[in-house]
Amino acid sequence: MINSLFMLTVIAASVVAAHAADQNTRVIIYDDVATEVSAAPASSSDLWITTGDLTRATRFVIKPQGVCRDELCFPLPKNRKAEFVSKKGTTTWFNLSAFAKLIRQPVVVDQKNGVWYFGARDAEQNGYLASLEAPNFTLPDLNGKLHSLADFRGQKVLLVTWASW
Amino acid sequence: MAQDTGGAKAAAPWITAAKPEYTALVDEKQIVTQKYGMVNVPTAVWIDEQGRIVRPNEVAFIDDRFKSFTNMESAPYIDAIRDWAANGAKSVYVLSAAESKARLKPRSDDRSRADAEFALAEYLYKQGKGADAIPHFKEAQRLDPDNWNYKRQAWALSDAERDYGTNFGKEVKKLSGRPYYQPRKLPEAKKGANDRRN
Repeated sequence: MINSLFMLTVIAASVVAAHAADQNTRVIIYDDVATEVSAAPASSSDLWITTGDLTRATRFVIKPQGVCRDELCFPLPKNRKAEFVSKKGTTTWFNLSAFAKLIRQPVVVDQKNGVWYFGARDAEQNGYLASLEAPNFTLPDLNGKLHSLADFRGQKVLLVTWASW
Repeated sequence: MAQDTGGAKAAAPWITAAKPEYTALVDEKQIVTQKYGMVNVPTAVWIDEQGRIVRPNEVAFIDDRFKSFTNMESAPYIDAIRDWAANGAKSVYVLSAAESKARLKPRSDDRSRADAEFALAEYLYKQGKGADAIPHFKEAQRLDPDNWNYKRQAWALSDAERDYGTNFGKEVKKLSGRPYYQPRKLPEAKKGANDRRN
């Protein structure tokens, strides 16, 4: 009897822990890849994530010169650093939704499911308008084999879209 | 390039029936629609051997099955494609860089948000949360009201009348003849003519 009670208590405690974890779990979709992260408990209109999750979900890293990915660095405005970075105990939190606004990246959220979608920045999206270089993409054929537009360099390409709907 | 949330399953019967000798791809996230700023199907882009756009987005009917709807003949466009295949950069249908740039417009903030809302909706739909996807599909449609891909795909994924209070036929009727495709602007030149105009 005592044993069963103990088991029940353990199960109940696990359920509570799992539930608490759920409340802070968010899905970030960045570059079209979905990653589960833990948001700061107070996150609601903004999305604060750990710097570890930042790198895991977006490949961005906080450096002295700014928030960087490969050669690309976005400096944070000097007087507004607290809007983006917050250190609590041993954890450093980063406000990814505020950063998206700073770099002119569309961000939309489904609060009910805790899913945040980060789209392409204006500069990325409109880059081809000056060069007329056709934006590259990689997509599967019916057999799942991937093809990139770049594979067809040296040939003319008639790109035609259609749909079954 | 099938623009289909239903993926290979939705596209396969059509591709199989067409027995294509060309490369037929499945784009279940409508990545091409987003990257090229497209608003409807069928849409075509001409890309030269160097990977440069020489005719941007335009409606591309390859037969006359929708002629009663669109009042547009396919033959002049097919002739234009043949002319390009034969004459390459010398084809009268190849646009100058200036003309291509003039036809391509930078994406508006609303379009960028619409793309994001549509992608979020598509993700939720694929997670089995079709009902939660609907407000985001609606928001994409509100932000980019001339985008028929975002309307027609969303309507096809549920009961359009029940969830969106409309359907394709009704929406086309509302336009009273206004075109809902990216227009096709072919030069009025004879096939094979060499007087390149821009």
